[in-house]
Amino acid sequence: MKKRGIGYGCTFYGTGYGNGFPDVSVAEAELNSDGKINVYVGATECGQGSDTIMRQIAAESFGSSVEIINYYSTDTDIMKDSGTAAASRQTYNTGNALRLASEKLKDRVIEKAKDLLNLNTTVGLKIENGEVFLNSFKATKISLSEIASSLGDEKLREEATFVAHSTEMDEETGQGCPYWPYTFGAAAVEVEVDTETGKVDIIRAASAQDVGRAINPELVEGQMDGGFAMGYGYAVFEDLNLKNGKIVNNRFTNYLIPTAMDMPELEKIIIEDPESTGPYGAKGIGEPVMTYVAPAILNAIYDATGVRMTEIPVTPERLLKALKESETK
Amino acid sequence: MYSSVGKREFRVDAESKVTGKAIYPQDIYMDGMLHGKTFRSSVPHARIKVDVSEAEAIEGVVKVFTAKDITGENYHGVLFKDHEVFCEKKVRRIGDPIAFVVAETPEIAEEALKKIVVEYDEIEGVFDPVKAMEEGAPQVHDGQNNAVYHYKIRKGDVEEGFAKSDVIVEKEYRTGMVDHAFLQPEAGISYMEGDKVVVCVSTQYPHFDRIEVAEALGIPEEQVRILNPAIGGAFGGREDITMQIHLALASRTLKKPVKSIYDREESFLAHSKRHAFIMKYKTGATSDGKLLATEVTIIGDTGAYASWVCNVLRKGGVHATGPYEVPNVKVDSYGVYTNNPFAGAMRGFGATQPPVAYEQQMDIIAEKLGMDPIEFRMKNIFRKGSITATGQELYESVTAVECLEAVASKINKNNR
Amino acid sequence: MTTVNLNVNGKDYSVEVDGSTRLLDLLRDSLGLTGTKEGCGEGECGACTVIMDGEIVDSCLVLAFQCEGKEIITIEGVQNGDILHPAQKAFIEKGAVQCGFCIPGMVLATKAIIDKNEEPTDDEIREGLSGNLCRCTGYNKMVEAVHRAVEINKEAK
Repeated sequence: MKKRGIGYGCTFYGTGYGNGFPDVSVAEAELNSDGKINVYVGATECGQGSDTIMRQIAAESFGSSVEIINYYSTDTDIMKDSGTAAASRQTYNTGNALRLASEKLKDRVIEKAKDLLNLNTTVGLKIENGEVFLNSFKATKISLSEIASSLGDEKLREEATFVAHSTEMDEETGQGCPYWPYTFGAAAVEVEVDTETGKVDIIRAASAQDVGRAINPELVEGQMDGGFAMGYGYAVFEDLNLKNGKIVNNRFTNYLIPTAMDMPELEKIIIEDPESTGPYGAKGIGEPVMTYVAPAILNAIYDATGVRMTEIPVTPERLLKALKESETK
Repeated sequence: MYSSVGKREFRVDAESKVTGKAIYPQDIYMDGMLHGKTFRSSVPHARIKVDVSEAEAIEGVVKVFTAKDITGENYHGVLFKDHEVFCEKKVRRIGDPIAFVVAETPEIAEEALKKIVVEYDEIEGVFDPVKAMEEGAPQVHDGQNNAVYHYKIRKGDVEEGFAKSDVIVEKEYRTGMVDHAFLQPEAGISYMEGDKVVVCVSTQYPHFDRIEVAEALGIPEEQVRILNPAIGGAFGGREDITMQIHLALASRTLKKPVKSIYDREESFLAHSKRHAFIMKYKTGATSDGKLLATEVTIIGDTGAYASWVCNVLRKGGVHATGPYEVPNVKVDSYGVYTNNPFAGAMRGFGATQPPVAYEQQMDIIAEKLGMDPIEFRMKNIFRKGSITATGQELYESVTAVECLEAVASKINKNNR
Repeated sequence: MTTVNLNVNGKDYSVEVDGSTRLLDLLRDSLGLTGTKEGCGEGECGACTVIMDGEIVDSCLVLAFQCEGKEIITIEGVQNGDILHPAQKAFIEKGAVQCGFCIPGMVLATKAIIDKNEEPTDDEIREGLSGNLCRCTGYNKMVEAVHRAVEINKEAK
């Protein structure tokens, strides 16, 4: 028999290393000789999108789109230490460091523009699309490449460091402020449980993720889809099948992850409420996007069958056994 | 108005990826490069004696590296230096690296692996973290208690909270170890650039790899350069070192480029796993739906090595009550060594397991109270000004209500 | 060692191979076409997908000597000069790319879907992509990308 049920999961997630551990990102920004902006950060692009996000954050300082940025993030000889690409911390931490570095560089570029334009103040100067101009008299302008070529041997290069706020907790009571910021999220799913085969299909699904502010909504949605798939796999499929320390399921033939056929369409809702300490209000979301998925599925399985699954993954064998036990009760 | 922030900019790396031009470490080929393969423990717990002489004698084998070839410290680890680069006297899990064969072709290296002789004097293993905590359990790391970490929350008085509760739900939940299963198996290549060793590898944290490579090789950090080209997913599984030191040691010793690629099975052996959690929950609430007390014990299996065990079990503990205000909280989370695969960072980092428990607790209590599960959550959910289980005030950008309302409005019993 | 003659991306090659060389190894190690990826080595993940005589195959399961006289298209041969294939354009536009390791295989699987079916449904698309594993994207933006590739094809006509 096929039985349907609805379930919810709601979670929170503290960003960063936590517990007072120094959570430091360093970033550098530099005016290149052709007027573009060189950015040096140690944020590793693992697929999450940091190469794009960081460019967007740096470009914003210069009132431009990402094309203005030359980006260096793959070589310890030239990039600064921006910490690990983990703990959902790169957008928030390195994004903050980079924003600070970019703003410092922008101020210096504008200062140079003031001199080159023979102005008595930087007030009223604006930077946009590769040009510095007087907002009230736009013909008074100079391009970033002209500024760069006027510099000679001088380099406009700025470094900034961001340290996340986190305190060590009391050893006896665990009281303190271990993480900042926290993100929030929720999922709702409708499942269909086949009581003959023990298979769990997801019929409908929605995720809502708090992002502070989305630097790039397309990438946020991509993380939400991916986190949902990983949460689904965690709840229902993935099992190393350990036997005395041996991983029995050590290949894709027996360690099953969701395929395009398993994955449902997902309604993705981005919740924005800017975080004042984040770059342009942004928080990191790489991890939280998966945390609410498994519990929503488990609650939906209960709603469908009346069976409470307390151990995951809910493989067909496990579910059939639990269904059988509940019948004999 | 923003010029770039908030826009659906196309990913800057997308074009190179859709055209096949993006370079992952396995895509790098160098003239005269040698090929490395790792010999790994086939048993979970044993004293070992290693003999590589027969393997080294094979034509085309350039060198077989073992613990005695380490030029610096034979260790690495993100928190504690409890991994050996090559196990010297003891193995603690199936898959522990013992030797690294470097040969002219991958096929010869593979042949040589079969000629390595390891005498295993097996020791009783421990695979259940609860048993591993018992007095007299086999010690995974000699002279060290298996329970390597304990985090506590003590807030209010849980006994009083339960005494005042109208409904109490007690249940145990279990989550298994799982793998990151990123699509790109580990691969890397290392070569010399003057006196500098360059390691090109998929990693989440190149600067930390630089420190660990330098320490193991016994050279200054300035003589190590880490390049991280395109990376085929990570999810926490590329936090701990896998082949970085092996490659650097080999190329620096042999003065030739050395490349290595793991196949899928070796990838499963090489990197960390998500900690399996056993979570005992006791939750109490009043008849009108206010949470009064939560008591939680979490036992996390970190397997043979610590990796991030303290941080993960701490994060698990901090998040144990979920996004809900609870006045009385008692949490104990433990990280425990076993002879299982080692656990480390994985997406959610200790905060992914507890929701499996606390969100089911919420539904069970709601049902017992005859309350709608959303309505019950809303009576307790974090809002601006809420205080967490660790006493932290959430003073801005608190959107749990909006998130839950958003999904509940999309999927509910009325719109089937 | 034997010599195998085959055509890859419109070019003829004669390559020395031994009995255990896989098509995947030939493409990567001998021809330098590293866009074809190895994710599992046993035909489960689809990262090594190529098109052989018009059909999708996992190049890790095909032995090189079996490719005598075959026409192979790899990810490097999908685009037309500087012009990206509709599948490639669509994957960029729809944000269907993350780590990228599965993407060459996904693009070829997409090409196979839209070459054979002018109006694929969601279900047909999901089935068509189901031989290719992705750990990052959750597939949904890929499904959108396949629809978009169909649209781009139509716009070009």
